[in-house]
Amino acid sequence: MLPAAVALTALVIFPVFRDPLDSFLGDSILALAFVVMALGLNIVVGFAGLLDLGYVAFYAFGALATGWWASDFFTGVNGERGIHIGASEFASSLPGVHLNFLLILVGAVIITAIAGAIIGLPTLRLRGDYIAIVTLAFGEIIGRIAQNGDELTLIGDYKFSNGRQSISPIDQINLPLIGEFDQATNLRPYFWMGLALVLVVLFVNFRLRDSRMGRAWIALREDEVAAASMGVPLVKTKLMAYAVGAGFGGISGAFLGAFLNSVNANQFQFGFSIFILAMVILGGLGSIWGVVIGAVLLSFVNTRFLTQLDQGIGNDVLNALGLDFTFNEVKFGVFGFILVLVMVLRPEGLLPERRRKLELTEGVGTGGESVYEARA
Amino acid sequence: MWRSLTNPLKEGPILRARWTVILCLLGALALGLTACGSDDDGGGGGGGGGTAAGETLTIYSSLPLQGTSKEQSEAVINGERLALKQSGNKVGRFKIKYVSLDDSTAQNPGTADEGQTAQNARKAVQDKSTIFYLGEFNSGGTKVSLPILNKAGIPQISPSNTAVGLTTDEAGADPGEPQKYYPAKTRTYARVVPKDTIQGAALATTMKEDGCKSVHIFNDKTTYGAGLARNVSTSAKEQGIKVAGNDGTDKNSPNYRSLAAKIKADCFVGSGVTGENYVQVFKDVGAANPDIKLYGPDGVAEKAFTNPKKGGIPAELAKRTKITVATLGLEEFKKRGNAEAERFFRDFEATYNESNPDPYAIYGYETMALALDTLKAVGDKANDRKAVVEQLVGNTKGRNSVLGTYDIDENGDTTLTDYGLYTINEAGEPEFQKVIKAQEG
Amino acid sequence: MRGAAAVWEFVSKYGLIALLIAFPAYFAITDLSNGEGLTRIGNNLVAGLSNGSIWALVALGYTLVYGIIELINFAHGEVFMIGSFVAFALYGTLGLTLATGPLGLAVGLFVALILSMLASGTLNVMIERVAYRPLRNAPKLAPLITAVGVSFILQNVGILWLGSSQKAIPDLIGAQRVLVDVAGVTISRADVLAVGVTVPLVFLLTAFVSRSRLGKAMRATAQDPEAARLMGINVDTTISLTFLLGGLLAGAAGLINALYQTNVWYFQGFTAGLIAFTAAVMGGIGNLRGAVLGGLIIGVIQQISDNRIGNQWTPAVVFAYLVLIMVFRPQGLIGEETREAG
Repeated sequence: MLPAAVALTALVIFPVFRDPLDSFLGDSILALAFVVMALGLNIVVGFAGLLDLGYVAFYAFGALATGWWASDFFTGVNGERGIHIGASEFASSLPGVHLNFLLILVGAVIITAIAGAIIGLPTLRLRGDYIAIVTLAFGEIIGRIAQNGDELTLIGDYKFSNGRQSISPIDQINLPLIGEFDQATNLRPYFWMGLALVLVVLFVNFRLRDSRMGRAWIALREDEVAAASMGVPLVKTKLMAYAVGAGFGGISGAFLGAFLNSVNANQFQFGFSIFILAMVILGGLGSIWGVVIGAVLLSFVNTRFLTQLDQGIGNDVLNALGLDFTFNEVKFGVFGFILVLVMVLRPEGLLPERRRKLELTEGVGTGGESVYEARA
Repeated sequence: MWRSLTNPLKEGPILRARWTVILCLLGALALGLTACGSDDDGGGGGGGGGTAAGETLTIYSSLPLQGTSKEQSEAVINGERLALKQSGNKVGRFKIKYVSLDDSTAQNPGTADEGQTAQNARKAVQDKSTIFYLGEFNSGGTKVSLPILNKAGIPQISPSNTAVGLTTDEAGADPGEPQKYYPAKTRTYARVVPKDTIQGAALATTMKEDGCKSVHIFNDKTTYGAGLARNVSTSAKEQGIKVAGNDGTDKNSPNYRSLAAKIKADCFVGSGVTGENYVQVFKDVGAANPDIKLYGPDGVAEKAFTNPKKGGIPAELAKRTKITVATLGLEEFKKRGNAEAERFFRDFEATYNESNPDPYAIYGYETMALALDTLKAVGDKANDRKAVVEQLVGNTKGRNSVLGTYDIDENGDTTLTDYGLYTINEAGEPEFQKVIKAQEG
Repeated sequence: MRGAAAVWEFVSKYGLIALLIAFPAYFAITDLSNGEGLTRIGNNLVAGLSNGSIWALVALGYTLVYGIIELINFAHGEVFMIGSFVAFALYGTLGLTLATGPLGLAVGLFVALILSMLASGTLNVMIERVAYRPLRNAPKLAPLITAVGVSFILQNVGILWLGSSQKAIPDLIGAQRVLVDVAGVTISRADVLAVGVTVPLVFLLTAFVSRSRLGKAMRATAQDPEAARLMGINVDTTISLTFLLGGLLAGAAGLINALYQTNVWYFQGFTAGLIAFTAAVMGGIGNLRGAVLGGLIIGVIQQISDNRIGNQWTPAVVFAYLVLIMVFRPQGLIGEETREAG
């Protein structure tokens, strides 16, 4: 327990040593949000073995929850006076719905968990990669609805979203006892909030993995037919995996919405799902610590490492090689190269799950009989 | 019962090994990356050193350098660098440092990424020597950076934002705009391009003159495109032109053939930027409706749109296309005796070997020139953000610039309303035709 | 119980057909009741089928690779994109301009077709060697991530090559010029080109896979790689061959796309890949005819949606359709023949 305590303390006090607006701190907050996302996706893909390519849907719903309930988006409600529950002093003076961030988290989890279960329903009859395409389809459909939400009026003239014109600004997080955050002057509270979310999600993740449900997920992943005949309720188990995974995505989405101070449907694209999936697989499918490392690593490679190379020695190296472009122009490709390199060197991920490591040394043909079975 | 069964399975030694790995990673995080991270602090606050920031002032530029807006961003940067070079990189006793930031990311190329934009703004706030922030390119990005910079009192100038709601609550703005972008309750933002109400009126006026009876609008659904489409639609109705439709487009669509086939109007406005696939939009609309008149806003006023050799629309279509831009041609400037503009065209050619720069280069140049002249005007107080802001928003009057003579009003808007009407010449370059006297509604 | 099963079977069989017809039929009937005639829906169908042919060619590459190594080859769209870029570059090399005469154009384009096919084919084989073969025995999802990585690398190549915004390229064949006009339904040169190149290629491919020795080796490997190896089939070569075939088709699609859309963009492959993957799954992944059918159906849905619902909703409509089809037929439209490739 001692190393854990030391590590945690180090993490908690680390922001104090950085400037309150430090960009590294900002990138760390993003990394924490991605850890939560990746842990959520890990439940669906890693534990239950259901390949989900539409995880962006839950980011969208989580972020939209913040957009709806912590901004002046619904300007007209309550005769333009707005609805305020536990909002900060400043937010209380604005029209629209302004709820406390904790309420929004609860709301986001409820919305995304329901959405996750609904998306899971049509995949129940499917196996293997057919699940992947249906989840992908839902991710795209929901992304589209968010992007075109400025044309969708639901009740009265309330729109579904602001589409690509973004809902902004968003209320800053306002916690009981602690007070209001301010991302324009001090990022530290956001870091601690993100860290708290990661710890909660990690705890839930470990408990779930070792619970009856967790073992049911793993049984499902290993062999669906065997699991069913051993009495694992397939429908419930699968839907639970989708719902729990989605809930984590919702938490992270709501947090990101507040931190980024803007909800723009531009971000709800397939590429995002792939980015999170890459974190899970690169870290080690099903391995909780592996996924944490994968998420932190890819997030920092994207926000930090590549930028630093552009400002640092990267361009000198390129010039020395006689190439006439800046590092900035090949960032995208280098990111891809890193993905390929890591996967080729460590096909099981950076920190593979022990159980998987034992079983994953089989030949080509045995990997996926799933499509065959789908026809049976 | 079952829990006790799982416990023996828990990995003892392996767990410890993992903790070691994690500790190492955390160590790297706390120590190694701290070292990596510190160099970008050094770029700013370290050099200036708080209140003693005497000698060097920093001007940040934040534009999307990846993806589809890259070419326009580079034109802006070229313009900004030229203006800075002409000043000899200093104003009075202050040396000026220029830092170009990228507000797009690999995941979200071509436009301002919210997270990255906020990071850029915070970077400027964190840097004690920051005196100006030039950006964002996209109005949607400014929605994110403006509140952060406003709180810190940093003056901001955008080379290209046209969204109405950033500065006023006139038609086209959303409820709550613009106050919600100014948490400090003072105005710190200015722009060198007129807002969309004026461009909308300019387009409508042109269409009226050309005898349009009805107009079909496509918009790219961004803050810029959708906002401008609303303004075009309002102005067109006011001038008695029927608005037959206003459709959103998806930039990933391979073609717009069937969408274009439903147009029944005699005029078409493509309210979007080149990077949102608007070359293809214009091509398909032109092919499906051989007699339609085509109109584009400043979002397509660049060679990547006008020149077929650079991937623009084909020459046959170019003949039917007119573009409105808030800048006037060299000839017009000469006629008006605008020496600044003549000098810009001359110097730009000398520096970049480009005789007909993209309009964005002129905006970029003026953005930097306005910043530097504002600093010059406050003299010794050029390191005082408050004084600079007051000068920029309150005291920019009768400024002679490459864009003409204008004021910055109390909202931060330029008082320029002259829109230039451009056609596309044989060489595939936008060619100035005349000044549009817009009838603002 | 048996009754219920029979009802479900009935619903899945005819419900699916109804579902496929419902979309065009609905709009045809609305048009008729508005007294507009069938011209509009006819034009939608023509545009849809020709656009769909391009998707079909890309989808075939997906389905071939999936059929043999069960990998969703995310980089396939980028191989198609590089095909387009090569074709466009060849315009310059071969001196094809708007002024080139018809004979020169035909010869030049044929050469360009062969070369861009070869370029994409070679590229696809190389990708397999570098990014997938080392992971042959790795967990199933590992190559998915290398595929994404390769796709990023190729997109970056595209950016460095032709810049990051869409480039309109010379309209060599007068793509939108009308060839046939049947009561207002127009068939343009681009339509004829797309269908005219796709149909023979599909027949050649099916013949190759079902008749030739190598095709049989492919099918055997798809059935059971271990057994195929034991029977003396060189599995590695066979897999390379599959990637070569997929790449050749993607290259051909790349050239047709360049001529048809008169537009190239580094991101076109990503979008096309997503659509083609959807088409392959819709048809029943691993099944050649299914991929072609899926491609055509998606093409038609897209054009009808562009015209009637709105361009910005089109992807949502396509994916909603996919979900419905999956609900009715979890194995895709012609799913039974999966892995028998043909």
